[in-house]
Amino acid sequence: MISQELKKVILTQLDLDDFDLQDETMATQVPGWDSLNHVNIILAVEKHFNIKFKSYEVLRLKDVGDLQKLVDTKTGK
Amino acid sequence: MSSFDSKETTTLWQRWNLNSERIPDKDAIVHWNAGEEPIRWTFKKLTNTAKKYSTFIKSAGIKPGEVCAIIIRHNPFFYPLYLGVSRAAALPAVLAYPNTRLHPDKFRSGIEGMSQRSGLDYILTERELEPIIRPLTEKPGSTIKALLFPLEWDLKKEIDTNINEEIEIAANKVKGSDPVLLQHSSGTTGLQKPVILSHSAVLKHIAGLENALNLSTQDKIASWLPLYHDMGLIAAFHLPLSYGITSIQIDPFQWVVAPIIQLEAISLEKATLCWLPNFAYNIFADKIDEDELNEISLASLRLTINCSEPVRSESHKKFIARFAKYNFNPLAISACYGMAETTFAITQTTPGSTITELKVDRTKLAQGFVEITGEGINARTCVSSGKLINECRIRIVDDNRNDLPGDRVGEIAVKSISMFDGYRNYPEKTAEVVHDGWYFTGDYGFIHNNEYFIIGRKKDLIIVAGKNIYPEDVESAMNLVDGVIPGRVIAFGEEDEQIGTEQIAVVAETKAEDDKERNNIRLAVIKAGMSIDVNIHKVYLVPPRWLIKSSAGKPSRTTNKERIISRQDKLVWSR
Repeated sequence: MISQELKKVILTQLDLDDFDLQDETMATQVPGWDSLNHVNIILAVEKHFNIKFKSYEVLRLKDVGDLQKLVDTKTGK
Repeated sequence: MSSFDSKETTTLWQRWNLNSERIPDKDAIVHWNAGEEPIRWTFKKLTNTAKKYSTFIKSAGIKPGEVCAIIIRHNPFFYPLYLGVSRAAALPAVLAYPNTRLHPDKFRSGIEGMSQRSGLDYILTERELEPIIRPLTEKPGSTIKALLFPLEWDLKKEIDTNINEEIEIAANKVKGSDPVLLQHSSGTTGLQKPVILSHSAVLKHIAGLENALNLSTQDKIASWLPLYHDMGLIAAFHLPLSYGITSIQIDPFQWVVAPIIQLEAISLEKATLCWLPNFAYNIFADKIDEDELNEISLASLRLTINCSEPVRSESHKKFIARFAKYNFNPLAISACYGMAETTFAITQTTPGSTITELKVDRTKLAQGFVEITGEGINARTCVSSGKLINECRIRIVDDNRNDLPGDRVGEIAVKSISMFDGYRNYPEKTAEVVHDGWYFTGDYGFIHNNEYFIIGRKKDLIIVAGKNIYPEDVESAMNLVDGVIPGRVIAFGEEDEQIGTEQIAVVAETKAEDDKERNNIRLAVIKAGMSIDVNIHKVYLVPPRWLIKSSAGKPSRTTNKERIISRQDKLVWSR
């Protein structure tokens, strides 16, 4: 399940007030989350949680649920 | 001295075959997939597999001269398939695989518009797209004769020698002036202009590029550029295949998520050349973590060629500053100017030389005059796109198509030995832009000391990360949004200095008066953009009658863009 914290980071980066982000939500379904913005969102998540992703880890992400799991792994949750 | 003789073979297939005989075991294409062992096609293996594909193509009933649209994702079998289509004397036309955000109806209507305009005869694609495309083939009056799934063809089957013989005989009858491929300009609703190129145009162009780039058989190209784009198709695919050098093909979808892949490919394969749209320099410079660069060396790179969108000095500076310590030679920074209508490049900066930059007076430039100035608030840096490539010509003309002298800004008209033969099935558009053998590009620029500087566009085209977007496409999608007054919308390109490209902005008139309603409209506008696979970066909402009309009675993009950018009108709502 997507944490409120991760959701807030993503929505802030996209300048959206609200959007229903579920585990299976893909970037292409979220307004404003295009390929150019993708890198910015990843950087914002890294900065907020004070973690670092490897490019290959990011490449494997299929949906927001995968991103949440990766954040959890990196933050030791 | 030139080693590439464009007259040595008549057709591209003959050229590829010749390379297959001369350098059978050299890598022609290295198919790169992140985190996996690359798949290598030698020249011999590639042409042998292409022969097999050509027999399948003929068996499927495809005849010489028929157009085969290829819509396939990054796949190692794309390359021999493309060559196989060409060997069967049919015309390959690479189209973009639809992004999942693109609404299936929009994708279908785009293909339909394209098929009516370009006369697509066959679609070669993946099974996954069948439910979307199949209805098109069954529609009365459709030009599309069949939908084929070449990735399912059994390559283990023995080649049919009779069919192979027939193909060889037919292939030998093809003339240099015959068409070899069809490229489309961007756009989503049928505004695409189909460009047909002949064998001789492509071969002559490669001879011109050899000279302009000081190409050698030791060169290697690393590219993530999509092959439906002229820069990817000609510079990073046809050039190496015909010249007999290796290209490393990277998935564009992977590159944009993990640009480090291209640096790894350059480093491991010792690539020497890459073509990049301007924004890629910013992405490389700003979006890769230092930790990932540990084993990267860019020492082999002798040219990175900036093309396909306005060349920005800042982007080059950022790139050099970031990668000098990874053995990147600053003199490798280069630029060119090109378009599908001339096969690709018309100008190229001199390899190994510092790229020329001019600081000019911005106000004078807007008035059409080039006045060199020093640093200052009103100075604009113009970056050279280089000198003319052999047998290419440029004129700078005024609105009446009269020639202008040096240091005067005007429309760029071009002529070359590798010109297109007009837009397919589009004589009225061809007549509009081609006159007396000159193609009037719609780009604005000037010549200074024999170097060409491209500074803007007469057309309202928006270029986002090298991709051409027609504002008409965006506006027609916005006209359907609830709360937006139909016909009272404009779309334009807004400079994004951080990424080094343009982003799409929309200005829409609305009667909405409170913030909640406006926020809902903003979201609906962004979603309408998603449905045609464009990202609306900024939404400006304005009250009724705010947009100023042009003399044609439509809201003026230029005037209203200036009003928005000046940011002085309190009636404009945005966030």
